[in-house]
Amino acid sequence: MPAYRNIRLCSKDCMCLYVCPSGATDTENSVIDVTKCVSCMACVNACPSRAISMIPSQYPPQQPKEEAVIVAQHMLAISKVKQEQIADAVAVSSAGAVTRQFAKAVAKSNRLMAEDILREAGYMLPQSDEVRKLLKAILTNAAPDFPKDAAQLLLSKL
Amino acid sequence: MRKFKCSICGYVYDEIIGISQNGIAPGTKWEDVADDFICPICTAPKSVFKLLEETKPAPWLLANTNASVSLDLDELSAGEISVICSNLAKGCEKQRLMAEMEAFNKLADYFKSKATVENGRTLNDVIKMLDNDMSESLTAANAAAAANADRGALRSLVWSEKVSIMLKTLLSRFASEGETMLENTNIYVCDICGFIYIGQSPPEICPVCKVPDYKIIQVERR
Repeated sequence: MPAYRNIRLCSKDCMCLYVCPSGATDTENSVIDVTKCVSCMACVNACPSRAISMIPSQYPPQQPKEEAVIVAQHMLAISKVKQEQIADAVAVSSAGAVTRQFAKAVAKSNRLMAEDILREAGYMLPQSDEVRKLLKAILTNAAPDFPKDAAQLLLSKL
Repeated sequence: MRKFKCSICGYVYDEIIGISQNGIAPGTKWEDVADDFICPICTAPKSVFKLLEETKPAPWLLANTNASVSLDLDELSAGEISVICSNLAKGCEKQRLMAEMEAFNKLADYFKSKATVENGRTLNDVIKMLDNDMSESLTAANAAAAANADRGALRSLVWSEKVSIMLKTLLSRFASEGETMLENTNIYVCDICGFIYIGQSPPEICPVCKVPDYKIIQVERR
């Protein structure tokens, strides 16, 4: 459970440097060194701008989702995914630079909506059983060109 | 005297007060406000303002829930798997799990490359699909989420509906005005909810999901 500094909140008061017993907070790129962090929370408590928090290493099971909700969220997501694909194709093929730019925005907007809708269909937490089940199903049905190493890394690390 | 509420950001136009700094005198009736009036907060058009009435039950609470179709993992399209993976990559980034983030992004890119390419269709097809979302899929999803008291799903649908309404407004304007509509302005997309904003600089907070402006990202013209 290492500490993490939000650089947008950090006001460079350096209290975290004074209190850190392992030197983990004093780095050239302002990112706390997780290999040195001993999770003592001294920096979290000392920071006057509340820029440091602890990243959890354990998460509770994901909130359960009802079948009817899952199905309905998927139906809407399928439509948003299709709209992203149409906008993507326009963003590549259109002759007008403004049309390509606008289509790119439409595609991105649809991807973000679809991500959010499917996240609420049971795929919120990377460490959840639902995600493991999905990764295993993908691996079982994998085509030869599928990047198996990425899926295996996720199954072993998460 | 009545009040009208912007269905995107919640701004309320009050006929008693008007908007004097925009030249709309106190007492100006809504029907006398110009048709090209835009919301002073989020720039949504006049057409999305709704009369503020006594609280009525939301339409989806009255619709019946008949979603009994079950869903199999192998029915997921490549496009959907790509979306799930790109979102999980963001989840890993928040947890500072950078190797996992990269792996999910790799999967998202792979499945995007395997997804259907929708050639020969236009942005007008997107308008038609948005109409269908509004009349069917969104209503059904709202009904299912309300029936199961799933406030997380409801939250995603509230955002989606608002983003969809603005998207349809912009697509319809673009269909009639063409590229001139956007030639001298910037386009921004909220990185959290997908809200599209047209203007010289992004709003201070996203009118839909309320994140600060540094998460509202400009789309480059290339």
